[in-house]
Amino acid sequence: MPVSNTDAARIGFFLAVLIGLATGPYWADRGTMRLLIEAFYFLALAQLWNLLAGYSGLISVGQQAFVGLGGYMLFTLTMFAGMPVVVALPLAGVLTGLLAWPTAMVAFRLSGPHFAIGTWVIAEVYRLSFAQISALGGGSGISLPTDIVRGMADGRAARESMTYWIALAIMLAVIFGIWVLMRSRVGLGLGAVRDNEEAATSVGVRTVRLKFGVFVGVAAMTGMIGALIFLQKLRITPEAAFSVNDWSVLVIFIVVIGGIGSLEGPILGCILFFVLREFLADLGSWYMVILGVISVGIMLLEPRGLWGMVNRKRRFTLFPITRQVDQNP
Amino acid sequence: MTTKPTLSRRQFGAGVAALGAASTLPMPALAQSKTIKIGFVTPQTGPLAVFAESDAFVLEQFRTQLASGLEINGETYNVEFIVKDSQSNSNRAATVAQELMFDDEVHLITATSTPDTTNPVADQAELNEVPCLTNDTPWQPHFFGRQGDPAKGFDWTFHFFWGLEDVISTFTGIWNQTETNKVVGALWPNDPDGNAWGSPDVGFPPVLEAQGYTLVDPGRYQVMSDDFSAQISAFKAAGVEILTGVVPPPDFTTFWLQAAQQGFEPKVVTFGKALEFPQVIGSLGDRGEGLSTEVWWSPGHPYSSGFTGQSSAELAAAYEAATGNPWTMPLAFKHSLFEVAIDALKRSADPMDPASIRDALRATDYQSVVGPVNFMTGPVPNISKTPLVGGQWHIEDGKPVLEIVENDDHPAIAKTADVTLIGG
Repeated sequence: MPVSNTDAARIGFFLAVLIGLATGPYWADRGTMRLLIEAFYFLALAQLWNLLAGYSGLISVGQQAFVGLGGYMLFTLTMFAGMPVVVALPLAGVLTGLLAWPTAMVAFRLSGPHFAIGTWVIAEVYRLSFAQISALGGGSGISLPTDIVRGMADGRAARESMTYWIALAIMLAVIFGIWVLMRSRVGLGLGAVRDNEEAATSVGVRTVRLKFGVFVGVAAMTGMIGALIFLQKLRITPEAAFSVNDWSVLVIFIVVIGGIGSLEGPILGCILFFVLREFLADLGSWYMVILGVISVGIMLLEPRGLWGMVNRKRRFTLFPITRQVDQNP
Repeated sequence: MTTKPTLSRRQFGAGVAALGAASTLPMPALAQSKTIKIGFVTPQTGPLAVFAESDAFVLEQFRTQLASGLEINGETYNVEFIVKDSQSNSNRAATVAQELMFDDEVHLITATSTPDTTNPVADQAELNEVPCLTNDTPWQPHFFGRQGDPAKGFDWTFHFFWGLEDVISTFTGIWNQTETNKVVGALWPNDPDGNAWGSPDVGFPPVLEAQGYTLVDPGRYQVMSDDFSAQISAFKAAGVEILTGVVPPPDFTTFWLQAAQQGFEPKVVTFGKALEFPQVIGSLGDRGEGLSTEVWWSPGHPYSSGFTGQSSAELAAAYEAATGNPWTMPLAFKHSLFEVAIDALKRSADPMDPASIRDALRATDYQSVVGPVNFMTGPVPNISKTPLVGGQWHIEDGKPVLEIVENDDHPAIAKTADVTLIGG
């Protein structure tokens, strides 16, 4: 297949961004790296939520269940099983995925708004359950012993670079994973399900299996991100781990203002969110009010978010996943 | 052709040369003095915001006093306080602690008020090797909640406050002064404080049993509940006359209202956390009369600030005059946090070197407005204990007044009244 000009430009752009980000530890100071790690995991969470809500029609407000599970898995595996952090991180994701299986069986009995509320309720059940486990500190929470984190690598700089690359790798894996998925048969099926579930079923898309798979896969990745988040936070409490505000509301904000149903939207949303936070977080409660006003404003002006505004005049895409009829056969 | 202001290569070169030359010139004296940055994490918003009410006053006091700099080993340093809001959320507390350490590159980080703020900040400081000073969290949830090892302690983090044993001793000291049936009802939530207070090993239960009290414990409840009927009926059925617990203010208000509606009238009500604040007592109206609590500091405490020289009474009066609000216990603890920090900085060999500040903190032996602080003699390493006494609220002319009614462990702090029974 010949490579068109736009493809070449796109590949060049991706390479430049990739190289810029991958060399972060060599040019960024500690503060910038910390901010980028946070941006990476928020962007990854946003893309995953976007895959659920924007591409698969599964509107979940309970993704904090998997962030929290992943975090607690990391603490359990490193503290009680003595696993090194680099092994515990992916394993936390796998275990979260396994737990998402029965969770999905419950949640999938509901649909539409009931599904959304159901996922939230399930997350609350997890929160209350972890508050009862006294080995993990119960409602009091627990701190990760510093020796475990220090054991990740030799010295502070090596440890911080390693955390940075892990966060970057997870974020890239999520974005490119979703891109590849959406260009595949599965993506086509998901689009069909989102647009009209009955019609999709009637043309042979195995809707339930497809949605189930996406939900569990997203949960596993979310769990791995949760493990990374609480490796950064060093302390986990049920309130912090299963916080609907931190791990669902802000993530939904990023996707909605950026543009749901596109891979570019959450990237824009994430940039806007971090810019706003850097400048406004010291305003206390007003900060949340301003975020709310902005999201309502954007939804009224352009339901497809910032990316929708960018795309209004000229159709342009960084991650082509929609198929178009070839004009010159 | 339009003309644009352009810069020729020659001009540019000359400019750069001039800049280079300028940078070698001696800088003005003011800019030359180094700045010590102190980070401060505090729950300014969220459910624990009441703890942070005195922040602005205390910071203003220190900024004014330190406006002309702080002299350490003959050199004058500027002192800058950088304040971050934890939003009463431990995730946020960890993030802002990282911001302070990585972006602002603070030399010393401080935090106050409950484990959700002090513990994550101290965890981050320990890992990132930044000296850290905290207070206003009972020491066991702070030390053991962070998996502290009494044999080793921590390298970088220091904390001063009272502990569980003090509050148990104070509460039972209040109850022992009264004539009751010795049946104690406990309202302990499933949170760091509730779990510690209700612990069968280190909490209230073993002490109460040893002292001949009967404990009625309906189990840990989830904070921010809106229905306490189950607990109230359990207390009524067991004939509870003494009620205790450690709950956030909104929970106490809900509980106390429902207790009145359901005809539950204990004679002694002694709570941690919720009843420490005059704002909460004031909001209860006449129902606030006779409630009791632990007192970590009051204007009557015989201690004064080593930084401003103010006595406890003078500090409270200055606060009330400046803000128009009644004094609260966190006021003195915020003040003491910074005076202990400044004391350590003064004694440090080099305040620009984290290890040097840490060593000075470790060697702290200081008389603060909340009592002596000494990290070498504590119950466990890195911890210093401050005195705790018992107090009871009375409503006088519609305003809550706190009297000291129990001082067995610290007779230096004068008793101002005897315990009275509610409705008695």
